[in-house]
Amino acid sequence: MIAKTMQDTPTPGASANDDIGTATRIELYRLQVEIRDCEKRAYDLFLQNLVKGTSHLSLGQEAIAAGFAAAMGPKDKSFCTYRGHAHTLARGVPMEKVLGELMLRDNGLMRGKGGSMHLTSAEHGVMGSYAIVGAHLCIACGSAWRAQYQGQDDVTVCFFGDGTTNIGAFHEALNFAVIWKLPVVFVCENNLYMEYTPIADVTAVPHPAADRAAAYGLPRILIDGNDADEVLRTARAAYKLARAGGGPSLIECLTYRHSGHSRADPGKYRPPGELDKWLERDPLKIYRGRMAEFGISPEAIASVEATSKRKVEEATTICKSAPPASEHLLTADVYADGGWAWRN
Amino acid sequence: MSATIIMPQLGETVAEGKIIAWFKSVGDKVAVGDRLFEVETDKVTVEVEATEGGTLSEIRIGKDVTTKVGTVVAVLDGGVGQAAAPAAASVAPAPAAAARSAPKALSAFEEVATAKGRFGKANAGNDVRVSPLARRLIAENGLDTETVAQAAIKENVRRIDRRAIALHMQQARSSALTVLEPVQATSGTGGEVVTLNTIRRRTGERLAENWRTIPHVFQAIEADFTAVEAARCEIRARFKAEQGISLTYLPFIARATCLALDAFPQVNAHFDGKALSLSRDVHLGIAVDLNHSGLVVPVIRGAGDFTTLGLAKAIARMVEKARSGKLSADDLSGGTYSISNNGAFGTLFTAPIINAPQVAILSVDAIRKRPAVVETAEGDFIAPRLMGMLGQSFDHRAFDGAYSAAFLSKLKSIIETRNWAEDLTSGRTR
Amino acid sequence: MAELSYRDAVIRGISQEMRRDKDVVLIGEDIGKAGGVFKATVGLYEEFGPLRVRDTPISEQAILGAAMGAAMTGMRPIAELMFAEFAAVCFDFIANEIPKQRYMTNGQLGCPLVIRFGNGAGVRFGAQHSQSIENWTMMIPGLKVVAPSSPVDIIGLMAAAVRDPDPVMFFEHKALYATKGEVPDGEIVDVLGKAKILRPGRDCTIVALALMVPRALEAAGILARDHGIDAEVIDVRSLVPLDTQCILGSVVKTGRMFTVEENPRLCGWGAEIVSIVADEVFWDLDGPLVRITTPHIPLPAADNLEDLAIPSVTRIVERVSRVLNGSRT
Repeated sequence: MIAKTMQDTPTPGASANDDIGTATRIELYRLQVEIRDCEKRAYDLFLQNLVKGTSHLSLGQEAIAAGFAAAMGPKDKSFCTYRGHAHTLARGVPMEKVLGELMLRDNGLMRGKGGSMHLTSAEHGVMGSYAIVGAHLCIACGSAWRAQYQGQDDVTVCFFGDGTTNIGAFHEALNFAVIWKLPVVFVCENNLYMEYTPIADVTAVPHPAADRAAAYGLPRILIDGNDADEVLRTARAAYKLARAGGGPSLIECLTYRHSGHSRADPGKYRPPGELDKWLERDPLKIYRGRMAEFGISPEAIASVEATSKRKVEEATTICKSAPPASEHLLTADVYADGGWAWRN
Repeated sequence: MSATIIMPQLGETVAEGKIIAWFKSVGDKVAVGDRLFEVETDKVTVEVEATEGGTLSEIRIGKDVTTKVGTVVAVLDGGVGQAAAPAAASVAPAPAAAARSAPKALSAFEEVATAKGRFGKANAGNDVRVSPLARRLIAENGLDTETVAQAAIKENVRRIDRRAIALHMQQARSSALTVLEPVQATSGTGGEVVTLNTIRRRTGERLAENWRTIPHVFQAIEADFTAVEAARCEIRARFKAEQGISLTYLPFIARATCLALDAFPQVNAHFDGKALSLSRDVHLGIAVDLNHSGLVVPVIRGAGDFTTLGLAKAIARMVEKARSGKLSADDLSGGTYSISNNGAFGTLFTAPIINAPQVAILSVDAIRKRPAVVETAEGDFIAPRLMGMLGQSFDHRAFDGAYSAAFLSKLKSIIETRNWAEDLTSGRTR
Repeated sequence: MAELSYRDAVIRGISQEMRRDKDVVLIGEDIGKAGGVFKATVGLYEEFGPLRVRDTPISEQAILGAAMGAAMTGMRPIAELMFAEFAAVCFDFIANEIPKQRYMTNGQLGCPLVIRFGNGAGVRFGAQHSQSIENWTMMIPGLKVVAPSSPVDIIGLMAAAVRDPDPVMFFEHKALYATKGEVPDGEIVDVLGKAKILRPGRDCTIVALALMVPRALEAAGILARDHGIDAEVIDVRSLVPLDTQCILGSVVKTGRMFTVEENPRLCGWGAEIVSIVADEVFWDLDGPLVRITTPHIPLPAADNLEDLAIPSVTRIVERVSRVLNGSRT
């Protein structure tokens, strides 16, 4: 697979060569807009002290979630980090379930048992959001191994940040996936910062994932993570390879987060001007332009945006009136029998 | 807080019982030890006593009803009420801990069911400590900590535990049991009517049945205890000092019996009227007299694996438990052979009654110096020798006189010729 | 009936389950072609093939992560940690990922997997390869923990562990691999959460686990023969779920309890049991509850020193007889 750079844009009016199509483009835009709007609402609710604990937002990183999700089918499995709201919404989980979980209410995706960092929806293939850096790469290998062993054709997609590439589990998982040729796609969202530290300060190579691929015998894949089309094409190729028994892929997506690491962090460690430069490359801005190039009408675009805002309002209303997490669940589901008993 | 009264387990093969009489009615106050009801089983009739105090609030199984062992027959409302006085000693005992077979439901915040109850002092005077179990037993049996402590101190013991309480209660009982209550003279003989106590009544019925159903044959053999005595004298002072136990002839006889039973397995068996079930292990019953007010036969399980001194300790322990009324159903069951020690009053021999389903029982009578013929190279002489008669009653359905006699002969041979000095010091069990 | 070694029982238990359910697979380091460093998986590769008995690189995190991901999505994997202490290398999975999955996801996902550990001392491997670490896993909510002491229990508990929908930590004792025991023919399936009274007794209760079980039994024989003490010996077998009723029932009968533990002293598995007993049946205790344990030290390599450290039959006999028969004065 040839390395892509940030310059690759199709020429306008090339609809005859359009491998993506209007419907998918509208879908990609819808995913990104709804993620953006829902995440912004999450931020507001946090300021109102309705979202409790911690919350890691994906503002600015929507294209990655949208592109990879749009290329997945319902049987495919995704694993992500604690910065996982976008990946959860992108797989079709309703907004009120996500916001409800952030607000730790009974209507939440896990009824308040897991919280923001552990969003899981098995029925949507969202096989968990993981808070200990690196662990889920190894777990994703297990899901892929199962597909291979049972002769199923689903792929496992595993999202993580640039900081993950320096932890031991990353390296174990990559080596393992390669030697067993597992149908897993590793996606590094390089937003240039590992928590509060520039990734360049703490990594031995300039591109934390792409520059390590060779160490595992994998091709170097580095893409513009803010261009949903590029993400989509890359995802489709990687999934095809995996389903054909070609083994894992390691994809580094360059992106940027608009807010701090978590709600508690205003991001003051960033050099002046950097944020502004990246706001120019806001994925939604890029995509609005892309859709116009491909002749999608402003009305269609506005309709998506209006629907998104309506959905966010509805979800907010539902969540605000939802009861808190149920006390009956305190000791539920420690074990498969639904209980907690460690003794007779 | 209420406690349940259940149909108790009355014997190894008993599965159900019929209540033939209730001694209490609903609303009656019940104290520990009170007779509650009488149960008839296929083996025996037994009176069941209360193990907790309270008020009988409900009778679920009435007279003439047969029900399975373990069924709840009545309910007792516990607690006699707190005494007003602040002194810890006057707090009434709370009902005993819930039965192990019915665990309480646990909650996440009470994952362990803390034991209920507040019992007496943990420290008596003079540095005497009281174990938690002992504190509960003191309270449940209406004893006084200080009195028990005095008894312990006399034995130079600074800890009141279950053993100390058993000893104390045995002593208390000895003084109580020898008093037989005289009743109005209404008998035909013109003398006193002595009512049998419960134990005697119970065992009497069993003895009668055994006598009726088993064809008893009695055989006796005389054994020379000189070698045993020599070894015994060597060690008894030290044994007494170290263990607080007097070393009698009984452990030696028990040991010899186990060895003899190895060679004559049909004597160590159960008989059900049709088949003889040989037992691989010897579970030896030792008849214990309860100060002339009854007889119990507690069992030493696996007695064949004990050394002679081990048997001495085990016998002493059983006797102590028997005399303090602390024998459990387990202690009284499963015996494969029994020994009845009747020598204390100088009898020559005794023909004991067999303990069904065992097939034989040994009586040991007085061991004393008697004139005996001693054969030497120079001729026959009369000399005093320490002699004792060993008498065995056996079930003639199980085996014949020749087999029984051979067993007795083996037993005699072991007693007379075993190297007892070596036996006591070797620590081996064969 | 046959006499089988403990290690052959491991093979029999695993193969019994792998024959029954094709989703049961085995992974670990050198477990396949080499048959395991302790030869406890010999023959499985030949019978089930390289897809079901799969050797891995030295990547404990990847091994446990793979087991977890596979279990979450429909398989029933068995993963081996060659030496129990390697649990520390992948402790995130044992403590944070596997046990908390079901709870955090509100029951959506679970981890029906078994992790086998080569546990315990007696083979002179030194401090980092000899410790007993059942207690490291007993304390984690969401796990189940078993440590069989005999070949028949290995098979039965392996079957129960594989069939259990919860993650089970399966501790095999390295020093027991060569020991033998009677094993009936046919399928053997035991139950988690049940202790066994191996020797009934009346004077005290001795609670033991794994290698300490045969030592406790031998000590009980000596205690009866030489000290007139009739000890009841319980093989705990399952730390989580814990058969509390069995232990409590025994202590109510005897009034005295001793634990024999190979874990280093502090927070060994017996500490929790002593705590439960002291709480729940306090008024049945006739004396102090005593733990007989390895001292709180890393283990030495020297054979004579290692033997001194781990509770021996002599030490058990001495401690029990001294506590029971001594000092009433």
